[in-house]
Formats: sequence, structure tokens, C-alpha cells
Amino acid sequence: MRLSELVSAMSPTQLTEVALLIFVGVFVAVGVRAWRTVPSERERAARLPLDDGEPTGGRR
Amino acid sequence: MLQLLDAADGRLVGEEDAALAVAKDELVQAVDDGDAVWPSLNLAPYFTFGRLRPLHTNAVIFAFAGNGMFAAIYYSSQRLLKARMFSDLLSNIHFWGWQLIIVAAAVTLPLGFTQGKEYAELEWPIDLAITVVWVVFAVNFFGTLARRRERHLYVALWFYIATIITVAILHIFNNLVIPAGPFKSYSIYAGVQDAFMQWWYGHNAVAFFLTTPFLGLMYYFLPKAADRPVFSYRLSILHFWSLVFLYIWAGPHHLHYTALPAWASTLGMIFSVMLWMPSWGGMINGLLTLRGAWDKVAEDPVLKFFVVAITFYGMSTFEGPMLSVKSVNALSHYTNWNIAHVHGGALGWVGFMVFGMVYWLVPRLYQAPLYSLRLASTHFWISTIGIVLYVVSLWAAGITEGLMWRAFDDTGRLQFPDFVETSVRIAPMYWVRMLGGSLYITGTLIGIYNVYKTWAARPAVYALAEVEVPVPTWRRPRPAASDQRALRPEAEAPAHWHRRWEGLPMVFSVLVGLAVVVASLFEILPTFLIGDNVPRIAAVRPYRPLELYGRDIYIREGCYNCHSQMVRPFVDETVRYGEYSKPGEFVYDHPFQWGSRRIGPDIHREGGKRNHVWHWHHFRDPRATSKGSVMPAYPHLFSDRIDWGEIQDRVDAMAMLGTPYSKAALDDAPGQARAQAEQIAAELAAQGGPTGVADREVIALIAYLQRLGTDITQRAAAEQAAPGGK
Ligand code: HEC
Repeated sequence: MRLSELVSAMSPTQLTEVALLIFVGVFVAVGVRAWRTVPSERERAARLPLDDGEPTGGRR
Repeated sequence: MLQLLDAADGRLVGEEDAALAVAKDELVQAVDDGDAVWPSLNLAPYFTFGRLRPLHTNAVIFAFAGNGMFAAIYYSSQRLLKARMFSDLLSNIHFWGWQLIIVAAAVTLPLGFTQGKEYAELEWPIDLAITVVWVVFAVNFFGTLARRRERHLYVALWFYIATIITVAILHIFNNLVIPAGPFKSYSIYAGVQDAFMQWWYGHNAVAFFLTTPFLGLMYYFLPKAADRPVFSYRLSILHFWSLVFLYIWAGPHHLHYTALPAWASTLGMIFSVMLWMPSWGGMINGLLTLRGAWDKVAEDPVLKFFVVAITFYGMSTFEGPMLSVKSVNALSHYTNWNIAHVHGGALGWVGFMVFGMVYWLVPRLYQAPLYSLRLASTHFWISTIGIVLYVVSLWAAGITEGLMWRAFDDTGRLQFPDFVETSVRIAPMYWVRMLGGSLYITGTLIGIYNVYKTWAARPAVYALAEVEVPVPTWRRPRPAASDQRALRPEAEAPAHWHRRWEGLPMVFSVLVGLAVVVASLFEILPTFLIGDNVPRIAAVRPYRPLELYGRDIYIREGCYNCHSQMVRPFVDETVRYGEYSKPGEFVYDHPFQWGSRRIGPDIHREGGKRNHVWHWHHFRDPRATSKGSVMPAYPHLFSDRIDWGEIQDRVDAMAMLGTPYSKAALDDAPGQARAQAEQIAAELAAQGGPTGVADREVIALIAYLQRLGTDITQRAAAEQAAPGGK
């Protein structure tokens, strides 16, 4: 069965359901991935706005 | 409007512009509020509520939020990427082009040039200009990304990328129209599909114009002002992806209980409720960034504004999902509750984020200490109190209206059958709202004064800061094929896929775009594929040429800002308005005019409810027929003549969109229109109205109103008359 046949055989509701499942899958993958970043990398990334050569904090 | 010359790198920013824009919006808003309480404030034709309200919403979104967002993006991106903008020329085109668009909006909306779709009112030539300017912005931004000296794209930049891509998609697809004149067009979608597209656009405009760029702003400026990194970088990543994944599906929550398929509505509700969690994750992430720095909040106006803004983000993102729940929505929809909701977001979240940023930027850009901390603090308190009064009064007004509309008395009749009773009841809350709005404006004016004084104290010559920029070691010149292998070991350690994407902004952007497009398609396509999903009703026929022209007047005057055309399937609504609305009744509605607010009653079943002469007097002076009405008078409809010459173009444009007009209409639409106008004028005269008025605009509008919602009853009548009919 070709993909196009499969898609056209599905009802709109089924299409939406499939899209939903793909979404949840990718989303979970991204979440897991985000949780497993290397701490040092994360810390450096988080400091980017603070290390951009501009003074931070306080008032002027 | 001032532009600030950022001494550090000579770049143009428009913060000042944003501040001025807010002042202007609030002025429109004040007039707007006034209109709702004192109908005599409506200065027809240009300054009636129906034309001013779109000006107000467009100004808040495109002028205020737009300029605020651009200032944040230009300032923070260059620093996060350690690179100057790709092209100063493009920056300037972007800045001036955008201001011109705002001016064009301010001129055309009061003139009545409108597409009649909320927040997408601007007519097609301006839409084209927006597209061009947006592309200029995108090229400039992505060009800067390509030239960056910092490999990792900080999370704020991801929010900006998502904004740029998604807004482009939304803008283009919701504004597909067939022009019927230089400032007149018809949406290519009709009825249910148009409604679907519109709220896919409308809701994602909230998401990607009013939320994601300001989250980017938060993730950059908050850590800076607090002098500590964001509480959890992981949470910020999750926050980002959740919003990109979830927001796109939420649009149908604007259409609960309308003639939309139930599955779409439920889907919208579920995704909206899901959005609550990542949004609160983001809020908590923002607030916890201040851990150990709360003492600073007490003295630093920047942090004060940020803390309240983030709190309002949390409130709005709780309230939104709640309003998306169908049973809550049944009460809240069409009421002031929604108005309260959006003002919490606009004044609290967007407004305060921008003010916080301006207070951060101004002393740094002008290299002078802020003129007065005390004034900044006053601004903060006055405006905060203003928002609270504003929102609380509208909550009360919304719930009051909602309950009154649905109330039945002991005998089973509507307790408040006269709509005006409900608007009179909430008038006191409008006063409180006006007080709140005035406080907010006062605060803003104080802020503008403070900025002005700071600017006035700037040094004669700005000190030029020397910034050391790293050499981008990770992006070396492409090595010759022969020594490629030799260089290989030096390349970084095997990076994870996510880091690779971040190193490849184009790939990353394409992925974000894909996520948005795929979700949109899956959500929208079914409604289109099953064009027959919208069950046709044989009795529903295209508008006759005069009615079409009258409908265009309805759109031009912005009647949809006060009137819905969607009777929901609730007992109180069918008793009050008549048979509930069916999807098949709107198949010739380019654009749909369901509305989102009932300042006046629903008028989908207006046809035949009143006679012509009632409408005649009502449009001349609504208070004459309906004591206490807040509807504006429309004197110009009685003096302005129907432009018969235009009618053929409009009918032809509708025919191009597939409306099955008869050959007679295609050959001589003006003739048909005249005949119908003469007939209505004669009926009007017979009802005791004036004579000889067949060429007045009001006649076309009456023709439209008398047609509204009648097709299905005509079928019923025809079926009864025909003995063989079922
Ligand atoms: C400021 C909000 C507002 C605007 C704008 C507005 N209306 Fe109204 N309208 C009302 C209110 C309130 C009522 C109920 C009181 C009344 O009858 O005047 C009403 C009543 C009506 C009615 C009578 C409904 C019934 O009871 O049968 C019609 C018809 C109507 N409006 C048409 C229009 C048209 C057409 C426009 C645009 C040209 C328009 N309105 C603009 C607020 C508004």
C-alpha cells in the first residue's frame, strides 16, 4: 500500500488523530532530550545574556 | 517620534516609539470606552465605535507590542549573537516601513477600509506592505544569525525565530483575498472555513505576536536585570517547545458552540488546557530567577515591572485555558469577561514587560542615570492599580451580562428580554473601567516624561564602548578537500543532535516552521477537504447585489464589533433570537461576520423581525426606538448615495470566489440592485416612512438586514406550501 493510498483511506478524524500522536511523540522526545543536556553546557548557555559584554544588574 | 541612537554600535531602536504608541492607543481606548458609555461621543462617520475599535486593537498589537518587540529583538539579538545586525539599511527600512504601516492603519481604519476580520482588518495593499517589511526583518535577522560569533543560540533567540516564521505564515494565509477595488476585497474563505482560518490566525497572533517575542524579552532582560542566570535553562527549553507544539491547535476555542464541527472545538479546548502547564512552567521559571534577589525588586523599577508582568502572564495563561473550557465559555463568550482577559494580557504582561525593558534601556542608551526613580515607582504603582480596577470591573461586567442573558423567570420567560437592560446594568462597571484605564495612561505619561528628562540629560558626546568579540572558531573557512581530514580532529567533540540544530539556525528554523505548518494543516485541512463537511442547505442562496452592497456597509461600519451573527444552540438564545445558526447558512459569507462580542444583541435572525421604517429610525437615532441604547447613530447613511457603479465589480469578485450568481446578476448587477432598492423604498414609504430615498446607503443596509437569517425559514414555508414536500 502506498502512502498516498493510506492517507486517502483515512477519515479526517483519523488523520487528526495520527497527527496528534506524531506530535506527542516528538514532543516527548524533545522533552527527554532537554532533560538530558550536559550540565556544563546548560550553565554556559544560561549565562549567555550575562556574558555579553554589557554590565548587568542594579540601576544606573 | 524619537529614535535612539545606540552609542555602543550605532544601531537604531524604536523604544520611544513604543512608549508613544501606548499613549496613542490609550487615547483611542479612552474614546472607545467613552463611546460605549456615551453614544453621543461617536462622531460619525469616522469615529464611531465600529471603526475605532479596530484602530485600537491594531494599534495595541502592531504599534505598541510590535515596536516593543522589535526593540527587544534588535537590542538583545546583537548582544546574544555577538554580531552587529546584518544590514543597517534593512534595519532602517524595517523601522520606517513599520511606522508607515501604522500610519496607514490609523488613516484607513477610520475611513472604513477594512477586511472585517478581527486584528486582520487592514486592507490588502497594507497587507502586502506588511509582508514586504516582515520579509526585510526576517532577512536582516537571519543574516545576523548567519554571521554570529556565538555558536549556541540562547533560548530567547528561539522564541524570536518562532515569532518571525509563524507570524509570516499566519499573516499570509489569513489574508488571502480577492480584491474588488483598491481598498476593498473579499476573503477567499467563506463562513465556517473563514471563521476557522480567522481564529487560527487570531489565537496564534496572541501566541506568536504577543507572547513568544515577549518571552524572549523576558529570558534576556530578566536575567540581566536580576544579575543571575535564568532559574532553569532546561525548563526554558521545554517551555519553548511546548508553546510551539501546543499553541497552534488552540484557536477553535474562540468558536465554541458556533457552527464549527464539535471535534475541532473539543480539540481546541484540550490543547488550551494543556497550554496552562508549560505557561506556568515559564512563569515559575521567571519568578524563581529572582531567587535571592527579591531585595532588588523593592528598589529597582525594572524588576518591579518584570515581576508584575510575569505574574500577569501567569494569570492570563490560567484564565485563558479556563475560558476555553466549553461550559465556562458558554457563559463568558461574547461578554466583557473576554475583554478583561485580553487587558490583563495586554496591559499587564505585554505593557509591563515593555516598560521594564524601556527603564532598563534608556539610561544605558543615553548614558545618563534615570531622571527619577521615584517617578518610575509612581508609574509602576499607578498603572498597576489601573490594571486591577480595569480587569476586576470587566470581570464583574462580563459575568453580570452573561448571567442576565441566560436568566429565565419563574414563568419560564426570559427575565431580561430587553437587551438594553443588560447594557444599562453594567454601565457603572464601565466607569470603573474608565478610571482604571485613565490611571494606566497617567502612569504611562509619567513614564514618557521620565524618559524625556533622562534623554535631555544625555552627554554631548556618547562614550564609545569597546566590545571584545570572540573569533568564531567553530565556523572556519571551508577547508580545501585535501586537508579536510587533517582538520577533522580539531572539530568539536561529537555534538548532540539538538546542539547541531542550534548550530544550524536554518535547519532549526525550518523545523519550527514545519511543526507549525504540519499542525496547522492537520487542524485546518479536514474542514477544507470536507468542503461538504459544511452541509449545504438548498434554500440558502447568494446575497442579491443590493444585499451584498449592504453587507459591505455592515463590514465598513464595523457592526461586527458590537453584534454577533451566531445564535448558539442554547435555550436562552433560541428564545431570545430565534433558531440557532447552521454551518450551511454561511457558505456565501466572504468574510464571515460571526463577531466575538455582544455589546448589542445577536442579529443573525434579524430578517423580518422589524419593519423597514423601524430600521430607518433606528439608524438615524437608536435612542428614538430603543431607550438607553448605546448604538451609535449613522447620519451619513442617510446622506451618502449608493455607488451603483461599484456593484458589478463586487458581484464579479464574489463570482470569482465561486458564488453561483445568475447570468442576469452577472450581466446587470446594478440594474438588479436598483430594482430591489426601489422596492424597499416603496415598502418604506407604504409603512409611513419617507419617499424618494431609494439611492441612500441605508436602503442597502436595510436590504441586507432583512435578508439575514431568513433563507432557512423560507424553505420551511415553501415546504409547507408544497403538498408533496416532506
Ligand atoms: C456600540 C455598539 C454598536 C454598534 C457599533 C452597532 N450596534 Fe446595533 N445595537 C447595539 C445595541 C446596544 C443594540 C440594542 C439596542 C437598540 O435596539 O438600539 C443594537 C441594536 C441593533 C439592531 C436591532 C436588533 C433588534 O433588536 O432587532 C440592529 C438591526 C442593529 N443594531 C444593527 C446595527 C448595524 C447594522 C450596525 C452597523 C452599522 C450596528 N448595529 C452597530 C449596539 C451597536
